[in-house]
Amino acid sequence: MNIDQIKKEFPIFDEKIQNNDLVYLDSANSSQKPKVVVDRINEFYTKQFSNVGRSVHYLAVAATNLYENTRTSVQKYINAKDKNEIVFTKGATEALNLVANTLGQSYLQEGDEVLITELEHHSNYVPWHFLRKSKNIKINFAEINDEGEITLEEIEKKITPKTKLISITHLSNVTGAILPVKEITQLAHSKGIIVVVDGCQGAPHLRLDMQDLDCDFYAISCHKMYGPTGLGVLYGKKKWLEELPPYQGGGGMINEVKKDRISYGELPNKYEAGTMATAQVIAFDQSIKFLESIGIENVMKHEADLVNYGQELLQKNNSVKLVGNPKNKGGVLSFTIEGVHPHDIATILDEDGVAIRAGHHCCQILHDKLNIPASARASVGIYNTREDLDQLNESINNCKKIFNL
Amino acid sequence: MNLKELYQEIILEHGKNPRNLRKTEGFNKDAKGNNPLCGDNVHVYLKLNGQKIVEDASFEGSGCAISMASASIMTDLIKGKNEHEAKEIVEDFLGMIKENPELKSEYLSEDEKTKLMCLSGVKQYPMRVKCATLSWHTMVSAFDEKTEEVKTEN
Repeated sequence: MNIDQIKKEFPIFDEKIQNNDLVYLDSANSSQKPKVVVDRINEFYTKQFSNVGRSVHYLAVAATNLYENTRTSVQKYINAKDKNEIVFTKGATEALNLVANTLGQSYLQEGDEVLITELEHHSNYVPWHFLRKSKNIKINFAEINDEGEITLEEIEKKITPKTKLISITHLSNVTGAILPVKEITQLAHSKGIIVVVDGCQGAPHLRLDMQDLDCDFYAISCHKMYGPTGLGVLYGKKKWLEELPPYQGGGGMINEVKKDRISYGELPNKYEAGTMATAQVIAFDQSIKFLESIGIENVMKHEADLVNYGQELLQKNNSVKLVGNPKNKGGVLSFTIEGVHPHDIATILDEDGVAIRAGHHCCQILHDKLNIPASARASVGIYNTREDLDQLNESINNCKKIFNL
Repeated sequence: MNLKELYQEIILEHGKNPRNLRKTEGFNKDAKGNNPLCGDNVHVYLKLNGQKIVEDASFEGSGCAISMASASIMTDLIKGKNEHEAKEIVEDFLGMIKENPELKSEYLSEDEKTKLMCLSGVKQYPMRVKCATLSWHTMVSAFDEKTEEVKTEN
């Protein structure tokens, strides 16, 4: 696998960012886009545009076919059993809100418990909090260990007879910990508990096999997967998506509408009300093809090498402290520098063209637990190289120099 | 862009050893502010005497070098000013941080103006302006006895 060649497929790396070559280490936030994806959006709008699923004219039929092709591609990519288990949403956030909202309407009852973890992104906490307010459910938190991991044992410990649902991240966007989702699902199912997975960080970096994982729901963010913004995927087991009520009402999701009664459409239309992010869905097919052309095993190998290399560099760098040290770790390096606030780190690194994120990364619960207000985070994608991490380290040294450390 | 302009010695020094980072004993005005985007927070305390003059000003909180230095310099120079003077200084400071090339307030000494101008480097960093302004907005809120937390997005 030739990374230089792969990097060339991303037009942004031809740009000078404030007179610097771009060292993009913010892929956990959002990945850059390969030219094939950008071109596909342009091509669709220029030559093929029509709304989908409504009209019978040529363009509408062609656009509908393209739209549905992506659904099939996603189904194959994540090895879902059925094409109708793939629902497009405006993002992973909406996917998780859809699950919480519909389960709240028809499944979870007052007093039921939902188990999440201290690693969760706000989008896998706030939707459950809504149910805590409206339905009086209880939210329990599985706690991280000293390495910033969530173990199967910890999950088991926190399950009570009232636990109805477990909602967990596949890969932490802060510590990088990869959770034993398959084992957690087996345990949960043996006790009749539903499993929801926030796959935002998992989907771009890990091999996905829904039938093997066996979780009930899995939320994907397409813009972190070399795809367009404004698009997410919700995988849901067919039995759930059939049983649960609709999420939003509007055009496209109905079967028959009368003054005194309304019946809803079949899957997947039932969950895709209104005009969807058509161009993005069609372009996302190219993101999947791009990932398939590299092969997820190669992606994982390359990113593991980067994260090991980066971790070694930063561990050797005095006054840099890594956040978490999980055994099974994805491409995320969160760190703090004693005496320099993460926002100052990010501003100084930016001057060298090194793009990282600073803040709580939408994980305030975790930062409170770690007793730090914020952290700096470098995260990798397929286009990164060891040289990028050398530059990161060099810019960190510059930062220390400015702050007289 | 110029990092040296942003991180001047005086900013680094105040950031590292902030003045008035404590809670004023017997304060009679206070307010909280936070920046939801980055999680920075500040709590400003003021003690006004019978003549409505700021006898003491202090703050608690955590944040980047810019926000700590800004709160440190602010609490230092606001002592001895009355509410009217303090608010005019805030306006002057906010104007300078956003667009004005210099400070104009007659209530600021040349030395105080020089110190405040050290924060002018953030002008070139739009995302960091809120770091410099949070404590100032919060102080106004304390004067006005607002109970709502100040949220600075800009």
